[in-house]
Amino acid sequence: MTTVAPTSPIEYPTRHDERWRYAPHDLLGRLSFGPPSASADKIPGPIGAQIPALDGPLIVIVNGVVDERWSNLTAIPDGLRLSTLADASADPAVPVVAHFNPDVDGAADVFMALNTTFGVDGAFVDVAEGQKLDAPIHIVDVAIPDETSNTSCTGVVIHLGADSSATIVETRLGGSEAFGGSNTRTTITLDDHSTLEHIVLQDMPSTQVHLGRVEVTQHAGSALRARSFNLGAIYGRLAYDVHLAGAGAHTDLSGLYYGAGEQTLDQQITVIHTAKDCTSRQSYRGVLDDESAGVFNGGIDVRPGADGTDAEQHNDNLLLSNRAEANTQPRLEILADDVACKHGATVGQLDANAMYYLRTRGIPAADARRLLVNAFADQAVDDIGIDAVRTWVRDRLGTPDA
Amino acid sequence: MLHVANLTASIGGTPILRGLDLDVGAGEVHAIMGPNGSGKSTFAHALAGRDGYEIDGAATLDGVDLLDMEPEARAAAGVFVGFQYPVEIPGVNNMYFLRTALNSVRRARGETEIGARDFLAVAQEAMDLVEMKKDFLHRAVNAGFSGGEKKRNEILQMAVMQPRLAVLDETDSGLDIDALRIVASGVNALRSPERSMIVITHYQRLLEYIKPDFVHVLVDGRIVNSGDHTLALHLEDHGYADFVNHELDAPERPLSGAAT
Ligand SMILES: Nc1ncnc2c1ncn2[C@@H]1O[C@H](COP(=O)(O)OP(=O)(O)OP(=O)(O)O)[C@@H](O)[C@H]1O
Ligand SMILES: [Mg+2]
Repeated sequence: MTTVAPTSPIEYPTRHDERWRYAPHDLLGRLSFGPPSASADKIPGPIGAQIPALDGPLIVIVNGVVDERWSNLTAIPDGLRLSTLADASADPAVPVVAHFNPDVDGAADVFMALNTTFGVDGAFVDVAEGQKLDAPIHIVDVAIPDETSNTSCTGVVIHLGADSSATIVETRLGGSEAFGGSNTRTTITLDDHSTLEHIVLQDMPSTQVHLGRVEVTQHAGSALRARSFNLGAIYGRLAYDVHLAGAGAHTDLSGLYYGAGEQTLDQQITVIHTAKDCTSRQSYRGVLDDESAGVFNGGIDVRPGADGTDAEQHNDNLLLSNRAEANTQPRLEILADDVACKHGATVGQLDANAMYYLRTRGIPAADARRLLVNAFADQAVDDIGIDAVRTWVRDRLGTPDA
Repeated sequence: MLHVANLTASIGGTPILRGLDLDVGAGEVHAIMGPNGSGKSTFAHALAGRDGYEIDGAATLDGVDLLDMEPEARAAAGVFVGFQYPVEIPGVNNMYFLRTALNSVRRARGETEIGARDFLAVAQEAMDLVEMKKDFLHRAVNAGFSGGEKKRNEILQMAVMQPRLAVLDETDSGLDIDALRIVASGVNALRSPERSMIVITHYQRLLEYIKPDFVHVLVDGRIVNSGDHTLALHLEDHGYADFVNHELDAPERPLSGAAT
C-alpha cells in the first residue's frame, strides 16, 4: 500500500485542532493515499442518473484521473480552455494559477498537502478576459476505493479573466460502497470584475469520507456566488477559504447540509478581508435527523486596512431528532475601521404548533413534517439558478417542486 | 351530528374542561360565549385533537368517536377548527398548503385528488367569498399577515375544506367593521343543512350577522346556561357576573329561551 506518512511539518489533525474538532479521527486515520490510479473501466455503469443533466461541457474524473469516456469536451465555446489539469500543467503556454494560496494563513493541513502531492490531475478551467459563458461547466469527481489507496486526490483549478463570467458545477460521488473517500481541492482565481457561480453537490456513499476544499482569491470588483449541498458521506467536509484581495469584491456563500443516520457534515468557512469595501455573506442551513451531526465553523477575518468591510454570517439548524446535534462556532476577528459585521446562529426543532395546524387541515403527520422541513431547506434550494441542479437537489431530498 | 357528553380536559392535572355537554344538530349554528380563560379554545382544540390534554368523556361526529383519532383523521371526518391564533408557517406557500390539505382529506376518504388547474377554480371561489386579494395565495401561510388577514385566511380554508362541522374560535376578534361583515357573510354562505357550526365569540355584534340557533355560556369548563340569540343580548348588558356567581339577577331583558 502506497500510504504516505504525513510529512513534516504537517501533522494529522487531532480533536484539539479547532477545525477538526468534530471529525471522526478514527476514520481519517484509515484513509490511505497514493498516486492517481488509471481509471479505465472503474466505473461500473453510466453515471448519468446520478448527476444533474446539464447542458454544457462535462469533465468526469475517476480516482484523480480524467476519464475521457464519460466526459464531453466537444462543444467548448471560444474563450474557454477546459482540459485536464495534467495537460494544463504540462503546457508551458498555460499559466496554471498557483495551486497554493499563500495568503490564506493557517488553513493548510495534511490533507491539503496530500492533495498537492497526489492531486496532480483533475480539471483546469480558464475563461478568457471578457468572455461570458452561458452553459454551465460540469466537473464530476468519482471516488472508487481500490487496494493501493482508498482515497482519491483531485485538483481543480479555475481561473476567470477580467470581466468574464461562468457557472461551474462540481458533483462529487463515490463509485462503490467500500470504505475510502475523496480529497478534492479547488483553487479559484477571479480577476477584476469577473463573476462566478460555483455549486458543489456532495453526495458520496454513506460508507465514505469526503474532504473538499475550495480556495478562492478574488480581485477587485469580482463576485462569487458559491452554493454547496453537503448531503452524502459518513463524514462530509466542505471547507471554503475565500480571500477578498481586491477592493469592492463581493462573495456570497451559502449552503445546505442535510444529515441522517450517523453522518457528520462539516462546513469550515473562512472569509478573509484584506481589501477595502468588500462585502461577504455566509448563510448556511442544516437539517439533522437521527444521530447525525452538523458543524458550522464560520470565520470572518477582517485584516488591517480592509476598511469599509461589510460582512454577514448566518447559520440556522433544524434538528429532527433528539439524538441529532448541531455545532455552530462563529470566529470573528476585526482589525479594520468602519466595519459592519453581523452574525447569528439558531438551532431549533420542528414547530409543534405548525405541525398541529397542518394536521388539523387533514395533512398526515409525515407529510406535515416533510412540508415544514422543505420550507426550512428551501431557502437554500430555491435560489439555485440552474433548473437541472435544483431538480436534482429536490429529488435527492425527496422534496417535490411546490 | 356532534354529540359531546361529560367532556373533561386537563393539562398536567389542572382541570380546564369539567364535564361539558353539547349537542349540535345538522345545519345548526351554535354560539359559545364565556369569560376569558373559561375553556372555549380548549374545547375547540379538544375537538381538533391537540396533544397534551388528558381527555375523558365522549365526543362523536355522526356517531363516530373523535377522541381516539389523530387530528388529520378528524379533519378527514369533517372537523374544521378556525384558530383563535392562526399559526404562521414561513416557507409554505398558501396555495400549495390549501391544495395539499384538500387532497389529503380527499385521499383519506378514498376520493380522487384535484389537480393544480382545477384547484385554482376552487381557490378562486373561496377567495371571492372572503374578498381576499389573489396575492395572498402566493404568500407563505399566515406569515406576516395582519391579525384580520389571518382570520380571513381561516374562513378561506373552511370554504376550501367544506367541513361537516366548523368550530370558529373568535374569528371575529381583531376584524375591522368591513372585514367583520365579509367574514360573517362568508360564514352565512357556508351555512347548509349538512353543515353544523360552533361560533365562539365575545361579541354580540357577530351574532347580529350570524344568527345562531342557540347560544351557550361556558364558565369554568362547563356550559352553565343555554338559550336563543337573546341570551347574547343579555350577556352584552350584564356580563358574566351572574353566571360566574352561579346566580341570576332579575334580567332587564327577558331571557327568552334560556334553559335555566
Ligand atoms: N398549555 C397550558 N398549560 C396550562 N394552562 C393552560 C394551557 N392552555 C390553556 N391553559 C389554561 O386553560 C384555561 C382555558 O384556556 P382557553 O384558552 O381555553 O380559554 P378561552 O376561554 O379560550 O379564553 P379567551 O377568551 O381568552 O380566548 C386558561 O386558564 C388557560 O390559562
Ligand atoms: Mg380562546
